[in-house]
Amino acid sequence: MRPGTKRLWVPAGLVALIVLLALLAPLLGLPDPVRQDVAQRLAGPMPGSPLGRDEFGRDVLSRLIWGARSSLAVAFASASIACLFGTILGLLGGWFRGLGEFLAVRSMDIVLCFPPVLLALLVVTLLGPGAGTLIMVLSVLYLPGFVRVTYAEVLSARSHDYVEAVRALGASAGRILTRTVLPNVAGPILVQFSLAVASAVVLESGLSFLGLGVVPPAPSWGLMIRGARATMAQAPLLLLWPCLALTLTILAMNLLCDALRDAMDPRTATARPRLRLLDRVLPGLVPPAPNAEAPEAVLEVGGLTVEIATPRGPIRPVEDVSFAVHAGETLAIVGESGSGKSVTATSVMGLLPPAARPVAGAAWLEGRDLLRLPEPELRRLRGGAMAMVFQDPMSSLNPVHRVGDQIAEAIRAHRRGVTQAQAWSRAVDLLRRVGIADPERRARAYPHEMSGGMRQRVMIAMAVANEPKLLIADEPTTALDVTVQAQILDLLAELRRETGMALIFITHSLGVVAEIADRVVVMYAGQVVEQGSVPEVFGAPLHPYTRALLAAVPDGDAAPAGIPGVVPQPHAFPVGCRFAARCPHARPACEAAPPALEGAGEGRTVRCIRWAEIGAEKAEAVA
Amino acid sequence: MGWAARRIGVSLLLVWVVASIVFLAIHLVPGDPAELLLSSGGVAPDPGAVAELRDRLGLNLPLAQQYVSFLSGVVRGDLGTSLVDEYPVLDEILLRLPRTLELIAAGALIAVLVGIPAGTLAALRRGSAFDRIASGLAALLLAVPVFVVGTLLVLVFAQILRWMPAGGYVPLAEDPWRHLTLLALPALAIGKGLVAVVFRMTRASVLDALSRDFVRTARAKGLSPSRVLMRHVVRNALIPVLTVLALHMGTLLGGTVLVEYVFNWPGLSTPLLRAVEARDYPMVVGIVLTISALFVLLNLVMDLVYAALDPRIRHA
Repeated sequence: MRPGTKRLWVPAGLVALIVLLALLAPLLGLPDPVRQDVAQRLAGPMPGSPLGRDEFGRDVLSRLIWGARSSLAVAFASASIACLFGTILGLLGGWFRGLGEFLAVRSMDIVLCFPPVLLALLVVTLLGPGAGTLIMVLSVLYLPGFVRVTYAEVLSARSHDYVEAVRALGASAGRILTRTVLPNVAGPILVQFSLAVASAVVLESGLSFLGLGVVPPAPSWGLMIRGARATMAQAPLLLLWPCLALTLTILAMNLLCDALRDAMDPRTATARPRLRLLDRVLPGLVPPAPNAEAPEAVLEVGGLTVEIATPRGPIRPVEDVSFAVHAGETLAIVGESGSGKSVTATSVMGLLPPAARPVAGAAWLEGRDLLRLPEPELRRLRGGAMAMVFQDPMSSLNPVHRVGDQIAEAIRAHRRGVTQAQAWSRAVDLLRRVGIADPERRARAYPHEMSGGMRQRVMIAMAVANEPKLLIADEPTTALDVTVQAQILDLLAELRRETGMALIFITHSLGVVAEIADRVVVMYAGQVVEQGSVPEVFGAPLHPYTRALLAAVPDGDAAPAGIPGVVPQPHAFPVGCRFAARCPHARPACEAAPPALEGAGEGRTVRCIRWAEIGAEKAEAVA
Repeated sequence: MGWAARRIGVSLLLVWVVASIVFLAIHLVPGDPAELLLSSGGVAPDPGAVAELRDRLGLNLPLAQQYVSFLSGVVRGDLGTSLVDEYPVLDEILLRLPRTLELIAAGALIAVLVGIPAGTLAALRRGSAFDRIASGLAALLLAVPVFVVGTLLVLVFAQILRWMPAGGYVPLAEDPWRHLTLLALPALAIGKGLVAVVFRMTRASVLDALSRDFVRTARAKGLSPSRVLMRHVVRNALIPVLTVLALHMGTLLGGTVLVEYVFNWPGLSTPLLRAVEARDYPMVVGIVLTISALFVLLNLVMDLVYAALDPRIRHA
C-alpha cells in the first residue's frame, strides 16, 4: 500500500458512514422528522428523542439524519450532473477545437465571472427556491471545473504518440476518446467530483440558512440552524447539533479530497526532506589539527565524512575525503555523478541540506575549522573569504530581483557602511570586469532577460564581489553552450591569475580539467581514489578508475572506451574497494577489505592495493 | 503596455457579456415579471394593473429595444429604480457597497496579518508541533461554514459572554468605537476562511521557495537569515499567496451575504435578499452587475499587481 493511501481510509470511512446513515434514514425507525408536537417544544432529551425536540417539538436526531439525506441528495445530484455534462463538453471542446472549443471551454469563463453565492441568488430569484433550483444552480457552478480538467487531459492526450498512431489507423474519434482519454482523466475527475460534493454541501446549507434553498418544513441542516437561531438563548444545544453535523461532514469530505488529490498526484505526496534555514552545527568533536607540512594552504580538508539521514537509514555519500588547495592554484575535483563532489563542496560552504551533516574531519580556512564554526561566523565567511558559483545560473539567480541588486546585496552583506548607491556602482564595475557589455544597462536587467552565459557571468561577478580567497565553482559550465563554456573557463582562469585566489573546480569533464587545473582530485563513490598534479595524473594515471576515465575521453581517432556498470548507490557501498565491481584488474583481495589511500611520490596519493603491480604490468606491456 | 491594454479590453468584454446574460436571463425566463410582481397569495392579479405595469416597465417594447436602453443606461450609470419603493438603484448601491467592502477589507487584513506569518513559520518549522496544530486548525476553519461560525460567534460573545453586541451597524463618523466593536465579529467570521486559505498557500509557497537554488545562492552570499527569508523566500513566495487571496476576496463579494445576514450588517446583500424575495428586478440586476464588475475588476488589478511583482510575466 502506498503511504498516501493510509490517509485515505479515515475520512473515507467517515464519509461512507454519513452517506450510509442518509441512505438508510427511512429504515432506522426514526420518528417523523416533520411531525410537530407543540407541547414538547424545546424539550430536552427524552425516551425516543435522545437529542430532544426543536422549536416546533420535532425530533432533533431524526431531523439531523433526514437533513443529511436532503443535503447529500442535492450535493450528489448536482455534482453528478456537472460531472456528466462537464466531461462531455471538455471532451468535445478538446477534440474538435475551433468553434466547439470556444463554446464549450471559453463560455465557462463567464460562469466564473459570478461569485458563486451571487449566481445562486440570481437563479433563485428567477426560478423560485426549492431543491430543483438548487441542483440546477450548483451543477452550473461546478461545470467549469469538470470542463477544464477534461479539456486539459484531451489536449495532452491528442499530442501523445499512441493517440496519433491510433488516429492514423483510422479509429473513430468516439472510440479514441472513450478508450484512451477517459481512463486517464478518471483520476482528476474523481478529485473534482469530491471537491464539488463538499462545496455543494456548504452552499446548499448556506442557501437554506437564508431561506432560499430547501423549502420548510423539509429537514435540512441549514434550515435547522436558521430555526435554532431564534431560540439560541434558551436552547443553545439546538444550534450546536446541526452546526456540528455540518462541520464534521465538510471536514471529512475536505480531508477525503486532500487525500484523493495526494493519491492521484504523487508529486505532492512524496515527503520532501525537512528544510530549515539555519544549518545545524557539527557536534563538538575535537578537530584534527591542520597539517603542519602545508601551512600556506588556503583550504585544507582532512578526513571529511558526511552523513545523510534517509528513510532507509544513514548513508555516507562522502567518506574520509582530504585535499588542500593553495593560493593562486586551481584544484579540479573530478568524478561521475554520485561521486560526492558537490556534497564535499557544499559541506565546506556550510550549505548542506539539513538532513545532511558532517560527522568527521575538518575543513580549515585561514586557520578556522569551517565544519565547527557557529553559523553567524560561517555566514561572514560565505560570500566573503569563500564564494561559490553554482551549476545552473537560471535557477540560482532570484527571478524577481534585478541582477545589479543581487550583486549589490552580496557586497553590502559583508561591508558595513557601504551605501546602496556605492554598492550598485561597484556591481556595475564587477559586471564590466566579467565581460558584460553595457554594464550600466545590464545591471538593471532581470535574470530572465539574459542569456545563459551572461547569467553565469553575473553569478561569477557576485561570487568575486568581495575578493574571496577561495572560489568554488560547481560544474559552472555544464548548463551552457559549448562556445560559451570556453569563455567562462577563460574568465575564471583570468580572475584567478589576477586576484591570486584559490579555485576549486568541480567537473565531470577531464577535458576541462586539462585546460584549467594545476592539480586534480579524482573521486569515486564518496572517496578520493587518486590525487596529484594534472600532468602527472594525465601522463601516468595510477588508479584503474582514473585510467578508465581517461580512456573514456574521445581522443583523435581512438574510439572512447566506456566504463561498464554504474557508480554504486550510497546504500550499497561494498566493504572493500568500491570500484572493484567495475575494475578489470580486480582480485578477490580487493573486495575483502577497504583499501587505504597510499602515498605514491611527491604530492600524489592513490587508493588501490594493486597500483604498483598494475603500473609494472603496464610498463612491461609498453616495453 | 500592450499587454495591460489587452487585459483591460478582455475585462470590459466580460462585463458586457455578464450584463447581457443577466438581462437575457430575466427576460427569457418564462413568466411575466409584471404578473409575478402583482400576484400575491396565488390570487390572479387585475389584468388592467398588469398592463399598466408592463407599460411602465417598458416590457411592451421589442426585446432589442429594451436591451439597448438597458445597456445605454448601464453605460450612463443609470441602473433604474427599485420596483418596490422607486428608490434609484445606483444610490442604494453607492450607499451600501462601501460597508460590504469594509467588511471584506477587514477580513482580508486579519487573514494577511495572521495567515502569512503563521504560514511562514509553519513552513520553516515543518513537521513541528506548531506546524501540525496550525495545519489542523486551518483544515477545521476551512470546514466550518461561514454562517455557522457567525452564528456561534454571536452565541458565545453576544449571548453567553455578553462582550460584544450581537449585530448592527453605526457609521464610523457617528461613533468610531461602537463602529469597530460592531465590525469585529463579522470581520472575524469573514476572516476565518481567508486565514485558512492564506495560511495554507503561504506554507506551501514558502516550502517551495526554500528549496529553490536561488535561496542557496543567497545563503552562499553570506546574507543574514532574516534577509534571506524576507528578500528571497517570502518575496518570491508571496506572489501565489496574493493571487489566491484576491480570488477568494472576489468570491467574497457575493459571499458576504451570509455574514451580513447573521450580523445584521446593512451591506449590499440586505437589499439583494429583499429584492430577491420581492422580485425587484432592477435592484437584483443592478447589484449582481455591480458585484460581477467589481469581481472582474479585482481580477484585472491582481493581474497588474502580479506583473509588477514578477517581472517575467510582463514579457510573457
